[in-house]
Amino acid sequence: MKLQILLAGRGGEGIIFMTRALTEGLFRCGHPVISTETHGMAMRGGSVISQVKVGGYLSPMIRLGEADLLLATSQEEAERNLPYLRRGGALIVNAPLPGPKYVDATGISHRLGNPRGSNLVLLGYALSRLNPLLSLDPFQDVVAELSPPRYRSGNLRCLEEGWKLGKEQREKDHFLPIFPVAQGP
Amino acid sequence: MKRVLLGNEAMAWGILEGGATVVTSYPGTPASEILQTVHLLKEEHRLRIHVEWSVNEKVAFEVALTNSYLGRRSAVAMKQVGLNVALDPLMSAAYTGVKGGFVIISADDPGPYSSQTEQDSRYLASFAKVPVFDPSCPEEAKEMVKRAFELSERYELPVMVRPTSWICHARQGVSLGKIEPVDRSPSFEKAPERWAATPRFRYLLHRELNEKIRDIASRNAPKPIFLSERAELAVIASGVPYAHAHDVIEAMGLEGRVALYKVDLPYPLDHHVEEIVRRYPQTLILEETYPLMELQVGYREGLRGKLDLTVPSEGELTPDEVARILLGLLGGEVPRKEALPGGGRRPSLCPGCPHRATFWAIRKAAPQGIYPSDIGCYTLGVNLKAVDTCLCMGASISQAAGLYHSFRSAGKTPPSIVATIGDSTFFHSGVPALINAVHQGASFVLVILDNGTVAMTGGQPTPATDGPGKRVEIEDLVSACGVDFMRVVDPYRVPELIQTIKEADRFAREGRGVAVVIARAPCLIYGKREREQGEVIIADDCTHCGLCTEKFECPALVKGPEGRPRIDRALCTNCGLCLFVCPQGAIRRVEA
Repeated sequence: MKLQILLAGRGGEGIIFMTRALTEGLFRCGHPVISTETHGMAMRGGSVISQVKVGGYLSPMIRLGEADLLLATSQEEAERNLPYLRRGGALIVNAPLPGPKYVDATGISHRLGNPRGSNLVLLGYALSRLNPLLSLDPFQDVVAELSPPRYRSGNLRCLEEGWKLGKEQREKDHFLPIFPVAQGP
Repeated sequence: MKRVLLGNEAMAWGILEGGATVVTSYPGTPASEILQTVHLLKEEHRLRIHVEWSVNEKVAFEVALTNSYLGRRSAVAMKQVGLNVALDPLMSAAYTGVKGGFVIISADDPGPYSSQTEQDSRYLASFAKVPVFDPSCPEEAKEMVKRAFELSERYELPVMVRPTSWICHARQGVSLGKIEPVDRSPSFEKAPERWAATPRFRYLLHRELNEKIRDIASRNAPKPIFLSERAELAVIASGVPYAHAHDVIEAMGLEGRVALYKVDLPYPLDHHVEEIVRRYPQTLILEETYPLMELQVGYREGLRGKLDLTVPSEGELTPDEVARILLGLLGGEVPRKEALPGGGRRPSLCPGCPHRATFWAIRKAAPQGIYPSDIGCYTLGVNLKAVDTCLCMGASISQAAGLYHSFRSAGKTPPSIVATIGDSTFFHSGVPALINAVHQGASFVLVILDNGTVAMTGGQPTPATDGPGKRVEIEDLVSACGVDFMRVVDPYRVPELIQTIKEADRFAREGRGVAVVIARAPCLIYGKREREQGEVIIADDCTHCGLCTEKFECPALVKGPEGRPRIDRALCTNCGLCLFVCPQGAIRRVEA
């Protein structure tokens, strides 16, 4: 399988955590994967992107118009990075809006008592849309390993809730999985 | 066994699998996680090795180098501008050489993302005449560190490994080997003609160095990756641009038309490159960030690269750019150059950061001042209009002195000059600047932003942190430099801080010398600070003037509809600094 995922957000929102969890989880599913993340000054609240590429790529950078999936922590960051998304690629955004491409990750994480876990709601939601569908198990393991003890159960709840919502959406007929993609969502 | 590692972690594994017994560094993006990982692995594997965050890159270089004089393996890691600081020992160490393997990792930042220049460390390697490896992915970076130890030992020469940001901060599955220090007992063989060489011997050492480099240059031919008899174009690439070229050629099905060669060692460039350039009608050289390989090719017919402007000379080389260049040279239709998503939100100091209070106080105490500053999180004080200059590590103090002397020598009264420098930067290279300023009679305010850590790069220790030896206190250094005015203030006590800076400014403007204010409070991320009790709220008497959201720029204060500010509870630390900012007193603390 070949898959290119762009994650967009702001420093401090857990983009690096998502990237790590995604990279490590995909690796444990047996896929060759390479990813990048932004460190340093940009981490202080500035706009950042991460790139995750699955399937024997040497270059860690995603070309414009080639991302299969764009995962954004806000509508603003989604719009800014839209040029990366390929025609027919999927967009998933953290926003309290109707439609399968939106998930109210912030609202859900607050409701679950773990406001810092909205990145994991988003991740869980996105994972449930991959085709072939991967098992959530390795991602649960990775999130548990990467989380500091006091956030562990909260983070797992967020990941699982996102996954559950995504699966419900997946079962509705208008909802297309991300890969392979016949047409855009 | 393979494990997913960050490039910097992979290089740390390479250092320890390579058997290093002394490893040093000064933190700097994108190199910071190398030594951090060495530290963790040392604990995990109970290694008997010396690992240190040195006071600066020059010191780090010299400590590690000397272990290699004694026949043992050593490594030093830094970011590219750190290598400028360590250039003096690098130049000389190329002549003296080493006994045990000595590897210098200098991480470049094309873009740049988190640096003041896009400089190419490989240029400094070639300037010093030491070989340099240019890895194209994390796994290869680890292997190259190990190869660098071998090469270093074979030629008794320091060897550099030059990763870029997308090596350091890329993650992939990396094969792990065995971590084991090369157990050699240190032995210092006295050889003054080498270790303490006078100019007469230096000439001989230089001749030896040139012979070594000539020899290396005939043993590292570029590796053919895609070969075709009918190729119209050859690409010779190193580093991450090699990875881009590989994927682009494959994705566009150009293997029949383009030959691809990979270079591991861009300096000294192997003579075989010359043959490749002669063989094909056109040869494109792809490298980051300066044209190093390109300049070493003697036969230039059909040679394409940065010098003839085929390849951009600034910014990082993206796969899109590589595709455009290839199509252009093959005479195909070149896709329109699409702009990368620009703009976006700029970085800012964290909510509750003590530096925001200090910058606010400086603007209040000396509103007409000039504010030289320095390298660190606090460079973001530029958003608060409290940073006017940022040159390089430690320059805030010398530039403050420069401002003073400039006005004075013109017979003018200097304005308020308030310099800011972080604690670690002060230790790194601020101290000699302060000695100089005091001795030369400069008069200005110096605010040392002491948060007890190197915050921007991930919270590394400073000499004032508990360590294996004694703590070195900033106050002791400041008084030893001959400063007559010194106050320590908690920046969260904003009125007191404003008062103190005013006092310091008066002292300086009376021409009485440098006045130092140490604004001391732990970093919110890496330090420990008791959270304030009672929630901060915005009351109804807020007039929506926008001061708190625009001028104070706390990320927890968000502009809502009709410009009404609201507090983002997930971000707010209840530090209460904004209470001092609101002219209406509409921001209040609700007693717990």
